Amino acid sequence: MAAQAARPAKAAPTVVTVEDPAFLVVAVPDCAGGRLSTHDRQLLGAARVLAGRDGAVVLLGVGDCAGCGEAGADRLLAHGDGDRAYDPAGRAARIAAALTALDPRHVLFPESLDGGDVARRVAVRLGAPLFTQAESVSATGLIRPARGRSVEQRAAPGLLATVAVDAVAEYAGPPREARPLEVAIAEPAPAGARILSAQRIAADPATVPLALAEFVTAAGNGVTDLDTFRQLVAALRATPGASRVLCDSGLMPRRSQVGASGTVLAATCYLALGISGAPQHLQGVAGCEHVVAVNTDLHAAMIERAGLAIVQDAQAVMPTLLRLLAEEAARPEGSP
Amino acid sequence: MTSVVLLSAGRHPVSGATVLPRLEAQAIRLATGLGEAVGLHAGPDAAAVSDALGHGLSRIVHVPVPAGADPVPALVARLATMAPGLILAGRRGQGGDETGMVPYAVAQALDCLLIPDIVALAGGDAGDLPLDQTLGRGARRRVSLRGPVLATIHPDAPAPLPFAYGQARRGVIETVAGDPAAAAPVPLFEERPYRPRPKLVKGAPSGGSAAERLRAATGEAASGGGRLLIRPEPDAAAREILAHLRRIGVLAPPAREPR
Repeated sequence: MAAQAARPAKAAPTVVTVEDPAFLVVAVPDCAGGRLSTHDRQLLGAARVLAGRDGAVVLLGVGDCAGCGEAGADRLLAHGDGDRAYDPAGRAARIAAALTALDPRHVLFPESLDGGDVARRVAVRLGAPLFTQAESVSATGLIRPARGRSVEQRAAPGLLATVAVDAVAEYAGPPREARPLEVAIAEPAPAGARILSAQRIAADPATVPLALAEFVTAAGNGVTDLDTFRQLVAALRATPGASRVLCDSGLMPRRSQVGASGTVLAATCYLALGISGAPQHLQGVAGCEHVVAVNTDLHAAMIERAGLAIVQDAQAVMPTLLRLLAEEAARPEGSP
Repeated sequence: MTSVVLLSAGRHPVSGATVLPRLEAQAIRLATGLGEAVGLHAGPDAAAVSDALGHGLSRIVHVPVPAGADPVPALVARLATMAPGLILAGRRGQGGDETGMVPYAVAQALDCLLIPDIVALAGGDAGDLPLDQTLGRGARRRVSLRGPVLATIHPDAPAPLPFAYGQARRGVIETVAGDPAAAAPVPLFEERPYRPRPKLVKGAPSGGSAAERLRAATGEAASGGGRLLIRPEPDAAAREILAHLRRIGVLAPPAREPR
């Protein structure tokens, strides 16, 4: 009987609804670029833990985010901050106004650059204590490290808390409803514009430290023409990396070494040219989301790890890549 | 323009000895590069921050406050009389509660603008002061603003100046009258020795075996489902790589940028 009951639930995961929540737990994710990051999902997981069965999780975000219900949100509310200019104090004022309107039991923020900032602004604005950097979240208590991680502090969940990264698991249950809420939020009085301008400056891939780089192109023992490699790195707007062999032989600087004895990357994409993939090197790229490998050896570990693996001589592929990039750059705008 | 660097009595995370937090030493470097800088410390003992003199400050103002008391009222009262154009602080303390709330409480009380996580100061003309704020991954936001500002320092800021003994001897610490009756706040939290918790590993199965967790940690689980091209023409391979990089979004689409 239990098996019969379980089967239809597996075939079509029913959306869980909380019609009349006993209390609200508000999560305020960063929603950078209009999508939920891993940290944002972990935040919703923590909010879901605090809400339990009777409470509802309200996602207080910038507006349309995909996959809110799957991440554990029962309600959605936008604080209307979408494309405004950089104004953290105004954003905190709008979030504080929304919190006054919702009257939640708990409010969670991510302990990220933006989230940690806005959490502290909201805390001083509301005059409420903030439990920062919670590493363990449960309905009975939050735990945070203090004094250089020599002690941990524990308290019952209060109104405001920030959640550390990679500390709480994402929500893994059936999808929730994510129903848009209609709540009238008082627009806070505009403060005098003291920020004259805010301009985003993109990272320079040539000088950014390897550990922070977004896109790394690395050369291994299969690359002998390093001038072409450097031109290719510049043309791709990537950060140069290298395997231990090239660094040991002095062909590339030591600071560009990727791997256990070099730098452990946190890049989005790693393009490996002529690298077979020693275990120590693979440890360095374990955190990379996408790996592209070009190597002559079909049985190399890097070929197995890669999302796009090309069994070909990197020396032959590099000039072709450079030529294609140069052709694209020379082509007039708008033509196919 | 006079700038003030807020100094805290940091503790070394391992030895527990008093040290100047690195973030504050970085703040001193940024502030002294801009012009005259003064340190401000509210605490029981000025000796805790005397290292800051060796890192570039020539003068520190010390407001005596009983141990464990909230330093914010003393700092606010002193800053209101100093009226600096720029106040710098570390983004978090070191060795205390490490909540990072003090700069926010001070900015709220002084009603001054707060810009978090800056990594550089560009010397501005009269009136506006451009600050470079980190956005992570080496990207920055250049914020120019008007009026007094409190900025917190991110660890990606330039490394602190080296300690100079002669400078530390020449610097002066001025002790001004404080509020000796400031009450110590009631501790809110139950404390116990720290117990490290395992960090979540991306893609690791919950309740999986040790071998499965190791596979997730070393990225082997991510393999499989990838495309494999065996001995393609270099031209085809290059086109495939560029198309893949554009799908991921790390390479700009062609012919978008001028030239």
